[in-house]
Amino acid sequence: MSPVAGEDRGIALARAARAGNTLAMHDLLDHLTPYIARICVPIALADGPDATQEALVAVFRALRGLREPEALYGWVRAIAVREAVRVARRAARAVPAELADVPERGDPQLAADIGDVLARLSPGHRAVLVLRDVEGLDEEAAAAVLGVPAGTAKSRLHRARSSFRKAWFS
Amino acid sequence: MTAYASGAAAIDTVARLRVMAAGVRGARVVERVVPAPVERVWALMSDLEGEFGRFQPDMRRVRVVRVAGDRVEAVARSRWGLRARLRGVLRPGWCWLQSRFLIIGMAAAPEPGGGTRVALTGGVRVPGRAAVVPLGAAAELAEAMARLEARLG
Repeated sequence: MSPVAGEDRGIALARAARAGNTLAMHDLLDHLTPYIARICVPIALADGPDATQEALVAVFRALRGLREPEALYGWVRAIAVREAVRVARRAARAVPAELADVPERGDPQLAADIGDVLARLSPGHRAVLVLRDVEGLDEEAAAAVLGVPAGTAKSRLHRARSSFRKAWFS
Repeated sequence: MTAYASGAAAIDTVARLRVMAAGVRGARVVERVVPAPVERVWALMSDLEGEFGRFQPDMRRVRVVRVAGDRVEAVARSRWGLRARLRGVLRPGWCWLQSRFLIIGMAAAPEPGGGTRVALTGGVRVPGRAAVVPLGAAAELAEAMARLEARLG
C-alpha cells in the first residue's frame, strides 16, 4: 500500500532538502507530519504529539545522512515507530496486556472507544498492530522495523488482536 | 485546533520550529513566554515591512514583493547595506524565510498556562546549505527576542 499520497513529491523534497534547500525541508515537514502522526498517535496515545515531535526531530536531524531518498518512507516509518515506543515507555504507560485486564461484558469501560482498548496494550503491542493493520506490512517486515524476531512480532500481534476480540465481542 | 496550530494538526508551530532547527546544522532556538495574547504577538512579528525590521537586529528595511497564498517573497536590506531576497512561508504563528545568505524562522503559539510562547531561529546561512554560521547566532537571536519583548511592552 502507498504510505502517503504524493510519494514522489516527498522523495523529491527529501532530495532537495538534503541538498541544503530549507524551503524544501519546510515543505517536507508539512508532507511528513500527518504520516508520522498516523504511526505515532496509535502507539503513544495521549503522548502522540510528543512522540510525533520527537520522531520529526530525529528524522530531520538524520536527513542529511539518508543515503537513498527513494527509501524515505520506510526509513521514516522505522524512526517513527522507535520514537513512539520510546516516548510511550518513558511516559510509564507501558501496561502489559493481560487478557484479564480487558473489560468484561457490562463493564462501563467497554463503552469507551477503541483508544481504551489500545491503552491496555503495551507500546510494543500497539506498534505491531500499527505496522500490520495500519501500515499493511507483513510479519517479517514488521519484525524488522521493530528489531525483534519474526516469532515475537507474530505472538505480539496474536495477543494484541485477541485482546481486541475479547474486548469487542465478549 | 486553533489557527496557530500546525496545518498538519499534530504539533504546534513552536514544536515545528524545533524540528526545522534540528535539520539546520548550527541552528539554535531561543524561546520565551511573553504575557500577551498570540494574536497581538503575531500581528507584530508578522509585520514584515514594519515591526519585523525593528526587532530583527540586522534588518534595516524589508519590502514584500510577492504574496501567493502562504508563500511570500521579500527584499531585505541589512544595516550593512547588503541586500537579500527572502523567499518562504508566512502563516498564522509561523514564518520561515531563506535567502542565499540568511535563514529566518519564527513561531508563536498560545501557552497553556496563559500568554504566548515565542520561538526564533536562524542566522547567517552557509551559502546554499541547510546550515547557519554558529558564531554569534545565539547572541543575535537573544537580542531579537529582547527587542521583541520590549516592542510588546
